[in-house]
Amino acid sequence: MAALVPGRFRFAPYIEFGKKAIAREATYRFDVFTSIGSFALRVYVLRMVWTALYARNAAPPGLPLHSILTYSAVALLMGLVLDVDQVSSLYEKLHDGSIISDFMRPISVPLYFFADGTGEVLFHALLIVPSLALALLIVHIDVPSAGAFAAFVLSLLLGYFVGFCVNFILNCTAFWTLEIHAAQLIVTWLTDLLGGELVPLVLFPAALQNVLYALPFAAMFSTPLLIYVGQIAPARYPAAIGLQVVWLLVLGAICTLMWRAGVRRVVVQGG
Amino acid sequence: MTIIEAVDLNKTFRSIVRQPGLGGALRALFSREFEEKAAVRNVNFALRQGELVGYLGPNGAGKSTTIKMLTGILVPTSGKIRVAGIVPHEHRRENGQNIGVVFGQRSQLYWDLPLRESFELLRAIYDVPRDRYNANLRHFNDILDLERFMGTPVRQLSLGERMRGDFAAAMLHDPKIVYLDEPTIGLDVVAKEAIREFIGTMNRERGTTVILTTHDLADVERLTRRILLIDEGTVIYDGSLAKLRDEYGTHRTLVVTLAETYPEIDVPGTTLDRREGNVVHLRFDRRDVSAEALVRRVLDTYRITDISLAEPDIDEIVRRIYTDGYVAAPAVVPG
Repeated sequence: MAALVPGRFRFAPYIEFGKKAIAREATYRFDVFTSIGSFALRVYVLRMVWTALYARNAAPPGLPLHSILTYSAVALLMGLVLDVDQVSSLYEKLHDGSIISDFMRPISVPLYFFADGTGEVLFHALLIVPSLALALLIVHIDVPSAGAFAAFVLSLLLGYFVGFCVNFILNCTAFWTLEIHAAQLIVTWLTDLLGGELVPLVLFPAALQNVLYALPFAAMFSTPLLIYVGQIAPARYPAAIGLQVVWLLVLGAICTLMWRAGVRRVVVQGG
Repeated sequence: MTIIEAVDLNKTFRSIVRQPGLGGALRALFSREFEEKAAVRNVNFALRQGELVGYLGPNGAGKSTTIKMLTGILVPTSGKIRVAGIVPHEHRRENGQNIGVVFGQRSQLYWDLPLRESFELLRAIYDVPRDRYNANLRHFNDILDLERFMGTPVRQLSLGERMRGDFAAAMLHDPKIVYLDEPTIGLDVVAKEAIREFIGTMNRERGTTVILTTHDLADVERLTRRILLIDEGTVIYDGSLAKLRDEYGTHRTLVVTLAETYPEIDVPGTTLDRREGNVVHLRFDRRDVSAEALVRRVLDTYRITDISLAEPDIDEIVRRIYTDGYVAAPAVVPG
């Protein structure tokens, strides 16, 4: 394999890959309507559940009903983007063998997947606008301070990159197994339950919390969300965001190693 | 000028030997036995710039493995390759800029997007200047008639239209070399013809070097002067099609339409190959007997309305080589 960034590097192809991915996603209009519809339904269901739970129990410290509803709504909005497996084309291309065509082109193949996946995610990010409007009809969403919001955006971006790495690793396993659906389901459950997408990690037993915070799934959802609702105070921003950066570096390294080994398998063993 | 060179090229795949049954599967978890299979063995060839070569061989002969090494996606086990001065697997991306590839069985176009969008993407990938891009598209449109379906999503195209699109896509960046892997498979006569004309034009007018892998020998007869025959990983013939036909196809068939019905047909020096009513096919070896002598014998014995001489078709020659192996025929001695 040639180095990742050659002497004459051009951005143009990758910008174009991103644009084409957006155009491709836009052709599935029905998916757009169903995903906004199911989003609204989930916001409604979570409002019912949390309201009922809070009516019968004492609110946990620092997390009144309006905070938990904000948390849930923002988590669902983030899910519109973070739950997209933007690297699934890698699995598909390994599965049907069409990845060969990409290796015949004068491009960096991992960067292609990054550009394509980012384009796909950007299209889904557009859905946030109508979804947010819909959510505001169902629940009240608290607005954080400017500082907390800035930290949230930074943490969200890191969460996105961590998610990209998780998906990349997951899809890379197809170099060896050619079948990844079971692993994908497990990761989806783990992010839903242990990453704080469905239930804030602060509501878990203390002993379990420490384990969960140390997992990469928390770096995707929980960290930005807890910053948003103020459960992570400004003084703890550096530690929380720092942990995300550590996860990003670790997972990035795993991505690189897996990609190299996978390509070697294709290139040397012939698939 | 030599543009593609393969010297003592070898590619060996290692695969795990699996014992049959559950016991074998369990044993394979702990101890693994490997089996080596040579897909390409000591292949040597050189192509001059502007050549159009047919690369033929039965399924599993090593054609695709060779092409994959030439494109840089497979690393040879041993031997040397140079393509336009570059070692493909060491400089995969630079090599990518020099080559175009068409797989008959696999589209490289964006499935969900109109054809035009795929072309725009390729323009960005290969950094094709806008005026060159437009000129190429106009030219391709003249031969391939792309305009009608430029705005149609690729998944809605017919196979013929899709292949035309794939060909244009492979040639947009003026590659020096194109590899065509069974490009006419499954196409109807009209589409095949358009594709063949396109290949021929690109080769003639632009001097594009072409390696054509196919099972359709009409492609080869129409387009190439030189063929490489590969079997079990080894090149068994490298030369012109005419020479192969000369050397190997020493038999001819005399097709005679009889004017009246004869119960028995017997022409010394021939064997009766087939008889359909009054039309008889007499097979002979031109090393044993000349066509002229045979025609005389036929005319002396029978009343006929028509007579013609059929050369062996290339399909048959190649089929025989695949099954019997290639043996250079002894020198022709006209009888």
